[in-house]
Amino acid sequence: MPAALPLLLTAAAALIGAGLMAFWFRQSLLPVAAGAAAGALAGGAGSLLFMLPLDYCTFSPESQPIDVALGLGLVAVGMLLLLLPVYWLAGRLRGGWRTLLASDAPPGSFKGWLWPLLLLLPTLAILFLFLYYPALDTLRLATQTSLLGIRGTIFVCVDNFTRLATDRSYLQALGNTALITVMTVGISMALSLLIALAAFQPVKGARLYRTLLIWPYAISPVVAGVIFLLLFNPTGGIINYFLGVVGIEGIRWLNSPTYAPWAVIAASVWKSMGFNILFYIAGLQNVPNDLKEAAAIDGANVFQRFRYIVLPLLSPITFFLLITNTTYAVFETFGTIDYLTPGGGPLQSTETLMYRVYRVGIQNNDLGNGAAQSIILFLLVIALTVFQFRSSGSRVNYGA
Amino acid sequence: MIRKSFAALLLLMLAMVALAPVSAQATEVKMWIAFTDNRLDWTQDKAAKFNELFPQYNVVVEGYPNYEQLFAATALAAGNDALPSVVQYFEVATRNALDSGYFKPLADAIGDRTEINGVAVALDDIIAPTTNYYTIDGRWSSMPWNTSSSIMFSNMSILEAAGVAAPPATWAEVEVACEAIMALDNAPEFCFTWPNHGWFFEQWMAQQNQTFANNSNGRDARADVVEVNTPAALALLTWLKDMQTKGYLYYSGARDGSSWGTVDQAFQSQQVAMAVYSSSDTAIYTETGAANGYEVRASFLPYNQAAEGGWTGNLIGGASLWLVDGLAPEVEEGALTWLLWLNNTENAAEWHQITGYLPIRNSSVELLNSTGWFEAIAPNASEVWTASALVQAAQGQNWFEANPNFIIASEQLAGSQATPATQGAILGNFPAIRSIVTQAVDTVLLTDGADIAAILGEAQTNASATLDQYNSLVARALGQ
Repeated sequence: MPAALPLLLTAAAALIGAGLMAFWFRQSLLPVAAGAAAGALAGGAGSLLFMLPLDYCTFSPESQPIDVALGLGLVAVGMLLLLLPVYWLAGRLRGGWRTLLASDAPPGSFKGWLWPLLLLLPTLAILFLFLYYPALDTLRLATQTSLLGIRGTIFVCVDNFTRLATDRSYLQALGNTALITVMTVGISMALSLLIALAAFQPVKGARLYRTLLIWPYAISPVVAGVIFLLLFNPTGGIINYFLGVVGIEGIRWLNSPTYAPWAVIAASVWKSMGFNILFYIAGLQNVPNDLKEAAAIDGANVFQRFRYIVLPLLSPITFFLLITNTTYAVFETFGTIDYLTPGGGPLQSTETLMYRVYRVGIQNNDLGNGAAQSIILFLLVIALTVFQFRSSGSRVNYGA
Repeated sequence: MIRKSFAALLLLMLAMVALAPVSAQATEVKMWIAFTDNRLDWTQDKAAKFNELFPQYNVVVEGYPNYEQLFAATALAAGNDALPSVVQYFEVATRNALDSGYFKPLADAIGDRTEINGVAVALDDIIAPTTNYYTIDGRWSSMPWNTSSSIMFSNMSILEAAGVAAPPATWAEVEVACEAIMALDNAPEFCFTWPNHGWFFEQWMAQQNQTFANNSNGRDARADVVEVNTPAALALLTWLKDMQTKGYLYYSGARDGSSWGTVDQAFQSQQVAMAVYSSSDTAIYTETGAANGYEVRASFLPYNQAAEGGWTGNLIGGASLWLVDGLAPEVEEGALTWLLWLNNTENAAEWHQITGYLPIRNSSVELLNSTGWFEAIAPNASEVWTASALVQAAQGQNWFEANPNFIIASEQLAGSQATPATQGAILGNFPAIRSIVTQAVDTVLLTDGADIAAILGEAQTNASATLDQYNSLVARALGQ
């Protein structure tokens, strides 16, 4: 690494920050010089955010192009993290200094900041101790070779991350996660809506019937795993018995890389359906009858009423379920996978990203690598949430 | 009223605390083991007996679900200075245990004493294969306890129906027997199975005198190359793949720790005729067969008849008990007394009888080879032993003659040549390396037209990289 590199990089970052903020301040009719100064400060400091702890290791002479690229990416992310508040402040400053301090809080909320902060303190303390600090420590761990049961660590820069790009089994786990998540969420929500529509009909004993439908939700993922282990048992299981009746013989559900993911999907769908049905029934109860009646009078048939009245009115619930189900499929299928196909299944066909973190970090004692993978998982979830909020949030119909 | 009774209750509790018998005189010795089944019951029974015999000590045994979880719990406890006095580590964690700095070598703790608290040390009485495994540079690092070897269990009711009089001894014989078995009218679904656990791969390598790592299996010097891509491994996987193609081999798809249960299920439901397994479960396999009306016979692990030099021998498995470093002198003394007493002649014999683990003392083998073993063990026996049907049925007879399945593992190891290959590998990060090997086996068996040599080559590269990572970390930690 040339000795001047850190200086050069910081200067470049400051320059870019200054340019961006100068432009933005001009757009906002604010003093350009102040914007340039704030931008230079934030940009320069932002570039140091990751690079100081990493000691510019991604730009050492033996760094591969992928290390350099990742290093530049980290510089950009660091800059963004500090430039965004400046951007936001500038937005608020547009109306003058007064708007910055003016509160747009609804009446009845706290005035000033001391009291709210004091009341938040216990929560913040717990969050910091059990959430933020471990998360930050995971970042540190991810830059090290660290094995459980061996004292000492070695700093390895971003190797734990770059190694994943060429790790075929990691990419496979990514694919498995996508398959299991999309299928579980899709099938579970579609089936749940169908069942909820049926269960919503005013029939005798509907309350008892609905309660029974919600049962699977109350069962732990491990018990669900055991139940499906018995169902999918190739010789004694009931699923192969019924398949045998219709002439399909001896599918080895749990030892075949083709079928094993579907066994996991089936168990996860069953497990999550109770929750979805519960919410859909509640949602259906909120769909006003007069709307449906009016549509019926206008000549809309059952499908049209469902498509143009019920479905749009259910969209807030659907959106909420989409998020919770995705979270479930990515994170909480662990117990089901571990019981149905312990170790990640034949040819690692049921190894999701979450399961892999456990296998690498805990079973193989490779803490550094496990930490790196869990950070990627964390980023993935952030990206997923942002994407979901941006793409479907606008189309959700909250009005009734 | 409620307040009054509450106050009374509080007073009562305070009184109980104050009057609690002061057991502070007894030095507590805590031991963590990786069993939760009847092996934990047995050990706790034994601890109770020990506490009666040596009232100055109070041995407490706590169980963990498996070796891996115990290993992780130990590492975490070490970080918090909360280690117990004794921890059980499986054999492949020996290198990790030595490098961790948590433990004190057994030889250092014993010194040149021949007895501790009246319990004989007599470590020269331990059987040779176990001694070879757990002595590093000729010194005992830990106290051996559960030692096993891998053997094969055959369902003789099926074998005899197919005209196979004795369990097959070689790979080729297994194939011939399977041909006959699968031709039966009421043939089982499959003929043969084994747990896809790294230990069996290592066993089959040792049989062909193939080491698993360089530097004589890591015993001359720290190993830095894992030997996975070898002709011996190619022969093994070619055989397994061939057995699978012919429809003889049942592969459950479960690997490592979870593979055992699938084999238990397949054999005990008579879905297969032969199962390669650990001798640790000889008692369960024999008893389950008897209870369900089929005869189970144990035999040596089948070997590659085409290997140069034929059968070289087998290695051991199991775990040993490690003494934690930095204990108070009286605790260390109590822990040593307990470890030696737990593995004395009678207790080692009893442990063998209720599980199938090898009797690890030559004197225990002698005792069981006589008719007087029952009287010798009975006075301090555990409830698990007293309740065992096999033990009761063999009373008054030579144990091994009454239960021939139990001598197989001992005979297999006694007949083994002592070479670096049969001594077993000492490697860092061994559990992770094992997982790489079982994954390679998985890939070979589940991929059509798999290029076995290429898969083994990739596994060797990955395994050696994992070992490199470990070695460089330890080198840094030890300042080498």
